[in-house]
Amino acid sequence: MASDSSSGERQNLQGNVACALGAIAAGCRFYAGYPITPSSEIAEQMAARLPKVDGVFVQMEDEIASIGAILGASVGGVKSMTATSGPGFSLMQEGLGYASQAEIPCVIIDVMRGGPSTGMPTRPSQGDVMQARWGSHGDRPVIALAPASVGEVFEQMLRAFNLSETLRTPVVVLIDEAIAHLSETIDLSSSMPTPLASRKVATGDVAGFLPYAATDDGVPAMQCPGDGYRSHMTGLTHGEDGFPTQDPATVERVMRQLLGKLDRNMEQIECFETLECDDVDVLVVAYGITARAARRAVVSARERGLRAGLLRPITLWPFPERRFRELASSANTVLIPEMNAGQLCVELERLCPHPGPVVRLNRIDGECISPRQILEQIEKLHAHD
Amino acid sequence: MGASADRGMMEIRLSGSGGQGLVLGGRILARALLLDGLCVAQSQSYEPTSRGGLCRADVVAAESTPDHPLVGELDLLVLLDPIAAAASLELLRDEALVLADSSLADGFSDGELADVYLPGVELADVDLADIKVHSLPLYQTAKRLGAPRVANIVALGALTTLAGRWSQEAMEAAVLEEAPRRSSDLNLQAVRLGLALPEGQRVAR
Repeated sequence: MASDSSSGERQNLQGNVACALGAIAAGCRFYAGYPITPSSEIAEQMAARLPKVDGVFVQMEDEIASIGAILGASVGGVKSMTATSGPGFSLMQEGLGYASQAEIPCVIIDVMRGGPSTGMPTRPSQGDVMQARWGSHGDRPVIALAPASVGEVFEQMLRAFNLSETLRTPVVVLIDEAIAHLSETIDLSSSMPTPLASRKVATGDVAGFLPYAATDDGVPAMQCPGDGYRSHMTGLTHGEDGFPTQDPATVERVMRQLLGKLDRNMEQIECFETLECDDVDVLVVAYGITARAARRAVVSARERGLRAGLLRPITLWPFPERRFRELASSANTVLIPEMNAGQLCVELERLCPHPGPVVRLNRIDGECISPRQILEQIEKLHAHD
Repeated sequence: MGASADRGMMEIRLSGSGGQGLVLGGRILARALLLDGLCVAQSQSYEPTSRGGLCRADVVAAESTPDHPLVGELDLLVLLDPIAAAASLELLRDEALVLADSSLADGFSDGELADVYLPGVELADVDLADIKVHSLPLYQTAKRLGAPRVANIVALGALTTLAGRWSQEAMEAAVLEEAPRRSSDLNLQAVRLGLALPEGQRVAR
């Protein structure tokens, strides 16, 4: 296990360790979880580190209990998280929906391994991209982040907690096994200081308090049990007073508010990186470990005089639609390498301004996509121009 | 995908079967390269079993963070078990160096890769240009210390001398920092025996 005894210096840190360090740096003080490969080091690290910062670690009996516990802790006013892999993430979907509906901040890490079912516990995959988007029932706001390096895992944990707190919504961090178990040399002291955000706290009169009343940014202020406000929290569709309602006008209003809060705050949610995108024939869209291979492939393609560029979404959901449309409209082809049978590509096909040019490159054998595979595909696509 | 201008750039694989200490070996190697001032990316692949099964630990090193952190063209390959050979030989770069254990049953012999007997390996698809195999008694050396399990540490010492691309001091320090404290003396002996093992075989690169 990599240590952080040399903090302030360069160190080799594993992705899962960076995840735990990032969570604690973000102010997380409650972790409840059920260990599962390839995420277990996150639980191991949180168990060792949380007690030292007056935090609480609980090993739960399963993943359903895990997400229940972190939601309870978060309602109690503590920044909370859990970590799991595909099978456990499936069990958490009901709780995730509850968190969206009741607007409870929390962070869920899904370290993706080969699936479906128990699949390949030690092999990398990007098979949960659509589970993160559509896994829970009903229409709900979804934020999912996909870091591509150990250093970025740390940074994105800070963002995950900040977004979750300011928007009162669950945030999922999708890490593939390759990044989770990769160790990279990083210097945490040199990473950009990120101001920590906390949820907006209810103030004002206790009498007549409306726990889900709309505010300027569409996010209601949150009360904490014991602070004097009377409130009711439920997974049933509720009005501004927090009590269940099926009045169509009220339901329409509160659902639009719930779904609209991401659109109203898109500036802080959207996050992506572009490389060599000024004059692009082949636009590569890649995330996670695959984006590292794509980066190498795009640089090599440019050295060969091929006009390739990379769009790397860091916030995967909501997908950076506007930027993608701009880049795709000037490119001849969009190439989307993914370690699944084709998931994000469906979204790209939907968004593409002209039909037919989205080319898939998929790998589902438990191995990572190599730079060479992507480069060969770029060369082939250029030859067809 | 073309040689990098980065002088520190190198790709190294330790491979064998589960239980041989390859993941720990990768971590030690990564630490040694860090101590020598390089940036590293270290990854591993293993099967769900704790013993047996194909296992490997990879290290990519460069003067700044490697853009792609996984290996694609190996400069250095260590084979602690013949079963691991087939999966890695096609990744060898021209002028790569292979360190293999000569003391296992069905072990490797010394010499140019083209002339070396590698059980279970079809060499037809491998470009053999200037690939040198150093076959050394890694397990036998570890057994002399009464601890076959430190063959991984012996291998790291031998690799350090053969490659000549990072310092012996960094390797010794990394072994002491990363390996279990209670076995520090044993591991220090193992790495020093390993460092001396290739005597006269050092390859200028």
